[in-house]
Amino acid sequence: MDDYAVRLTRLSYTYPDGSKALDGLDLDVRKGERIAVVGPSGAGKSTLLLHLNGILAGSGTVRVLGRPVEEPNLEVIRKEVGLVFQDPNDQLFCPTVYEDIAFGPLNLSVPPEEIPRRVERALHDVGLEYTIRSRSSHHLSQGERKRVALATVLVMQPAILALDEPTSNLDPRNRRHLIELMASLSATLVIATHDLELVLSLCQRTVLLDRGKIWADGETRQLLGNDRLMKEHGLEVPLSLRVFDRMARPS
Amino acid sequence: MRHSFIDRYANLDSPLHMLEPRTKLIGFTGMIVAILMTPPTHGFAFFVYLFLIAIFMGISQIPLPYLVGRALLLLPFVLLAAVATPRTNGQGLYAFGIVLVRSILCLLILILLTNTTRFTEMLKGLQGLGCPRILTLNLGFLYRYLFVLTDETLRMRQARDCRRVRRAGMVDELKLLGSMLGTLLARSFERAESMYQAMLSRGFAGKFYVTSPRKFSWLDLGFLSAMAVFLAISLWR
Amino acid sequence: MHIPDGFLSNRLAVSLDVISAATVLYAARRAKVDTSGKMIPTMGVLAAFVFAAQLLNFPVLGGTSGHLVGGALLAVLLGPMCALLTMATVILAQALFMQDGGLIALGANIFNIGAVTVFTGYVVFELLGGVRSTGKRLAIAGFLAGWLSLLFSSACAAFELSLSGTIALRVGLPAMTGYHAIIGVAEGGLTAGILSFLSRVRPDLVSARARYRFGLADWIGALVLVAVPFSIFALVGSSKLPDPVQSLLASALGSGSSAAPSPRLLSDTPYADYAWRILFLLGFIAVAFVVARFATGRGKRV
Repeated sequence: MDDYAVRLTRLSYTYPDGSKALDGLDLDVRKGERIAVVGPSGAGKSTLLLHLNGILAGSGTVRVLGRPVEEPNLEVIRKEVGLVFQDPNDQLFCPTVYEDIAFGPLNLSVPPEEIPRRVERALHDVGLEYTIRSRSSHHLSQGERKRVALATVLVMQPAILALDEPTSNLDPRNRRHLIELMASLSATLVIATHDLELVLSLCQRTVLLDRGKIWADGETRQLLGNDRLMKEHGLEVPLSLRVFDRMARPS
Repeated sequence: MRHSFIDRYANLDSPLHMLEPRTKLIGFTGMIVAILMTPPTHGFAFFVYLFLIAIFMGISQIPLPYLVGRALLLLPFVLLAAVATPRTNGQGLYAFGIVLVRSILCLLILILLTNTTRFTEMLKGLQGLGCPRILTLNLGFLYRYLFVLTDETLRMRQARDCRRVRRAGMVDELKLLGSMLGTLLARSFERAESMYQAMLSRGFAGKFYVTSPRKFSWLDLGFLSAMAVFLAISLWR
Repeated sequence: MHIPDGFLSNRLAVSLDVISAATVLYAARRAKVDTSGKMIPTMGVLAAFVFAAQLLNFPVLGGTSGHLVGGALLAVLLGPMCALLTMATVILAQALFMQDGGLIALGANIFNIGAVTVFTGYVVFELLGGVRSTGKRLAIAGFLAGWLSLLFSSACAAFELSLSGTIALRVGLPAMTGYHAIIGVAEGGLTAGILSFLSRVRPDLVSARARYRFGLADWIGALVLVAVPFSIFALVGSSKLPDPVQSLLASALGSGSSAAPSPRLLSDTPYADYAWRILFLLGFIAVAFVVARFATGRGKRV
């Protein structure tokens, strides 16, 4: 077994209406790596993530932890790849928080006696009180919902976490908490995001996706600091890099 | 945004609230059946029923104005029945009165049932009583997404009001309502699609599983004996 | 339009409970077999949609207000089996959440508002061009599907009420169908409008691929499900099942066709006596209520 978490080879995907979402992507992610996928809206970031656990299946190959993402591997892969969606409302569909978090383990045939312990662990890991478990998710704040959504995935103990815009719609304090939380995880992280400061603080490697193709793949600070590259693909050099740059240059 | 119109009193703390949901479902339904089976010759029996129901109403801690207000739900049918009753003889009036009394009593029982049981418990009770899985699942999703949809509807209405200068004619209003509803519907489908993807991502393979239940206690026995009393009254000749 | 408990005769209510239970179970079995797991969240979300839409009232003719029932619309979008299941869920939810419609009358309500609207809407829509129609034809088919679904549904309700003896047909039928003929215009309009909107914005939703196909086996099953109980209904007048209200009302209306002779119900005592007794009893009951309230008075206000 190689030590790659994810290997994408010539991955292409076309939407039902004919437009190309992904166009011959090649990407290799090592185990334990933290990689960010950045790009303008509509670049195909979410579509890419949906290929990691087989929700979408394009042409080309997708290998996760050495296995091809297709039947009969899907059951194992969906346990090992935890996908956190952009809108927590889509992910929290049970009447109570407890049932939402228990949903994953129940599907994995975890013995029923184990479940309460796992739920408690998951809630603890995302920094929420155990008492929240009997509340209904529509009574929670957006920050709490994002954390519960993360808990529903963490409880399955995945080796790889794929997160779609994890910090969107969060106030500064909740954002900070979430970043600290993600930093403490040992899983391989694949983060699709517009939040470039998040990328700087968390991910050593960044991949630039635009119009379904990868235009750049390299060390985060170098990639994000490339003013021309950023502008060409509808992005901007993040503020902290610009300031740092300004400070480093003699006046 | 907060909407508690559905669950409003289900989170109170009375002895009725603490009963196991299956007991309540069977018990209250049994009481309704008993009321419906009582021959109208036993007018006094209805007073006894009302007495027992009043005790339950008191125990439940649900505010009286709310209980009475819900009785207005009966109004259209009561009016129709009133119009249709021949007023010439006492028999007819008595018959109408019986219909009125029965429907009010049944409604009060239904209000008690629904307002003393938290929704998730109701689902578990239904599932435990053999309700088809697909119905309880749908009910669960309905509950969860009702609030999301209501939020979206309110926001849409606000957005519409921001851009509206004066009220248009009824046809235009309906057209507007139509496109609002159409958008909501399209979004509902999209939401269902995302939800399905989220379910697949967490290992869903077609079967749903259940988590932990509530326990049966002496309170439940007490309640079921109350139901037995109802049935005894109705069957007594 | 949801019938509360107490307005239908027992044997009618129970027969409808049986019919609806059988229909729903049948639909559940078919839906599980023939559709993918994707239908389940779709039905759930649409149930929430219909429930929410039914809460949105719009004014009709000044005083009264109406709301979208949605049976015909769902029948077109989901196919009759899944539409029936979704409507059954909504009606169950309305009884359990809003106390709209009784528990014993649940079968009747599922039959009227779930089954009749869905099947009428589906049949009318298919006969008028089906899912392949566009533009004006789609709108007209949608309108008629919606309008007729409400008409048939309210007519059924009126018949049920009259068979129970609660509300005579001469009053019930014109009232229910008349009211719903007017409301039905809005239902038809909204159904047509939404279908047109969707056919422009999300045409894949208004296509035959999106839903379950109603096969021959289903038609036969539906016929059996409906024909058997209807024959039972036809025998309702001569049935020996005890139905207190039915016999009482039959005697009151002088039809004299029911089994037992009606007992003397009101004696010749003047009404004043009764009034005092009733008042006393009511007072006693009120005291019981207050005592019970304070005895267990530790309710948390939410």
